[in-house]
Amino acid sequence: MSSRTAIPRNRATTEGDVTGQAAQPTSKVTAPQRLRQRRGVNREGLEAGRRSTRTILWILLAAAMVLYGFPFLYLLFTSFKTPIDTIAVPPTILPTEWTLENYANALGRSGVLASFINSVQTAIISTLLSLVLAIPAAYGITRYKTPSGRVFIMAALVTRMVPPVAIGIPLASMMSSVGLADTPIALSIAHTTISLPLSIWLMSSFFEAVPRDLEEAATVDGCSRLGALWRVVIPVVSGGIAVTAIFAFLASWNEFLFALLMTAIRSQTTPVVIANFQTQFGLDWGSMTALAAVYSIPVILLTLLLQRKIVAGMTLGAVKG
Amino acid sequence: MSTRNTISRLVTLGGLCTAVALAATGCGAGGPAPTSGSAAGTVNVLVEAGGHAELTGVAEQCTKDTGIDVNFVELPYDGMFNRLSSEFSSGNVSFDVAALDSVWLPSFKDAVQPIDEIFTEEAKKDIFPALVKEANVDGHFIGLPAWTNAEIILYRKDLFEDAKNKADFQAKYGYELAAPTTWKQYQDISEFFTKDGMYGTDVKGAVETEWLAHVLQAGSPMVLDGDNVVIDNAAHKEALDFYVSLTKSAPPGAAQVDWAAAQNLFNQGKTAMTRFWAHAYRQIPTDSPVAGKVGAAAMIGGSAGVAGVPGPWYLSVPKATKNADSAKKFIKCAYDHNGLGIESSLGLASRISAFEKYQDQPGYESFKPLIETLNGKATATRPATAKWQQIVDTVLVPLLQKAVAGGDSATLLAEAKKQIQDLLK
Repeated sequence: MSSRTAIPRNRATTEGDVTGQAAQPTSKVTAPQRLRQRRGVNREGLEAGRRSTRTILWILLAAAMVLYGFPFLYLLFTSFKTPIDTIAVPPTILPTEWTLENYANALGRSGVLASFINSVQTAIISTLLSLVLAIPAAYGITRYKTPSGRVFIMAALVTRMVPPVAIGIPLASMMSSVGLADTPIALSIAHTTISLPLSIWLMSSFFEAVPRDLEEAATVDGCSRLGALWRVVIPVVSGGIAVTAIFAFLASWNEFLFALLMTAIRSQTTPVVIANFQTQFGLDWGSMTALAAVYSIPVILLTLLLQRKIVAGMTLGAVKG
Repeated sequence: MSTRNTISRLVTLGGLCTAVALAATGCGAGGPAPTSGSAAGTVNVLVEAGGHAELTGVAEQCTKDTGIDVNFVELPYDGMFNRLSSEFSSGNVSFDVAALDSVWLPSFKDAVQPIDEIFTEEAKKDIFPALVKEANVDGHFIGLPAWTNAEIILYRKDLFEDAKNKADFQAKYGYELAAPTTWKQYQDISEFFTKDGMYGTDVKGAVETEWLAHVLQAGSPMVLDGDNVVIDNAAHKEALDFYVSLTKSAPPGAAQVDWAAAQNLFNQGKTAMTRFWAHAYRQIPTDSPVAGKVGAAAMIGGSAGVAGVPGPWYLSVPKATKNADSAKKFIKCAYDHNGLGIESSLGLASRISAFEKYQDQPGYESFKPLIETLNGKATATRPATAKWQQIVDTVLVPLLQKAVAGGDSATLLAEAKKQIQDLLK
């Protein structure tokens, strides 16, 4: 835009005057004219620079999309391949013959529907547990800023550094001792140990971004501290809660190790069932990819549904201070 | 704003109610609780996903015969060892019977109870000798082989029977083209078919069983002879050199080739022969270019004759189960109706009589070679040490991968010996 406005001004000095006579090259260019010329050149350079930056960013974006999207697309295409096509050497991307047989096989297998219900049940309970525990914890840490709060938040992070298998085996034993063996509740509690530290950290950053003045105003209007949290702060950080919820949900939805150690017949989740397609005696690629594709649909829908909240939540902490 | 708040509250309230409702029900959608001993007439069987089909027919028959209901806890192979370790160490088991890979038997020998009463003299005669020996740990039988497997030779019958190939082979090597029975024949045939984008065989650098079968064929116990590490003896070197010699007749990248890759290559028609587990014969996809064109032969032999490494799975009863009687009844059913496994998708059994019943039926051509291999004089199971899996993962597979990539076999075997001695200390 700026270059368009600059060019006519320069033309006036080189191409002609208002009388329409042929322009005569002038040897005398005034200082302001030189400055304007230079600015015009600079703006063109800036615009060219921006264009190239944008091009590079687009290329990087496309590369990132291919990098992340291709494995899923390959999985999706494989789910429509015939058995021999799935193991082709060299592998092919697109099926030579499209078939829904893998979906029929995968969904017709006993226990698949039950595992889906278990996965939904476990992920919902785990997400709610994470939020119910993380919101007050994060609020307390950010608002009271006590030394013990700082220790607590660091300790929460430390739990993320422990290999899951190290806590998975004792957890399985404990759940069995309290009569919760092979229940979605036991698995949800185990999954909460994964998502809770991350949820506390995320919620802390979101609460940090909310000005204290808002709460004080609410208090002046007659709200209690908890009332201010419930009526004022929570609605402001709802985008952040959505982000936290989706992270907690995904952590539970995709979790494998705890599900492997803690579930048997009644609470087995779909990741374990998907893994069961790989046996000592062969790998049923078609059915495995079909079930994996179906299993990813709820998460894709959830992400699309909460997309605005996620973006809002991600930018919430960006304007604090 | 107020409308949004109301919606938000309703959603939160709904979510909490859902959570409370779910928590209150406290159960999953998969069926009844699997707690061991929860019902005297119910047996929970922990099984690797691939073995589930093998035992389904047995379970149905067992329910008919004894009234015992059978629930299967199905897990992927890679996670099963962890699950077993976890439950055995806690003393709380969620199953009454476990199907154990033979390599795990030594690790769990103290967690399972003897089932000597099932191993009658008649039973011992009907189970392959190597398996009877392996099931006996410290003087007691701790697992009944439910099904077994061994590597045999699968070859392209159409190529072997082709008149031109026969004539060309005869002219080049001076003997008739047929399924190989010796190392030399295997080398020659592999070399012969390595042309026009096809390979004579595969070489699996990522799995150790095949090389160990060659070690047995060369006349040595594999890796350990009692407490002595013998991996650097002449038989191991001879077998390793033979194994590596085949790389020139195999697809490139042998170091990364495992069972799945080798099976794919053969089913795609890229290799003329493969040494592979017998069950693969019946699992060739119907739309494979080699479907209906595959022959089966016993595993090749070396100076000690034909030998293979059996791959059995054992049914064991954990000491911690409260349902041991029903569990043992199920195992007895599994022995009595062992042949039902042959009609499953995996198509295997453990009793000689079960294999023999099917061996002449169309579609079961792999059974005679399998019986011959399992009955081979030099056929032996893996060493009974709890460290075996560790030895395989940290010593044997890396050794093979270095060897097929051109490493010096004597040096590699000497290094392996030291590593294994350190592991066993």
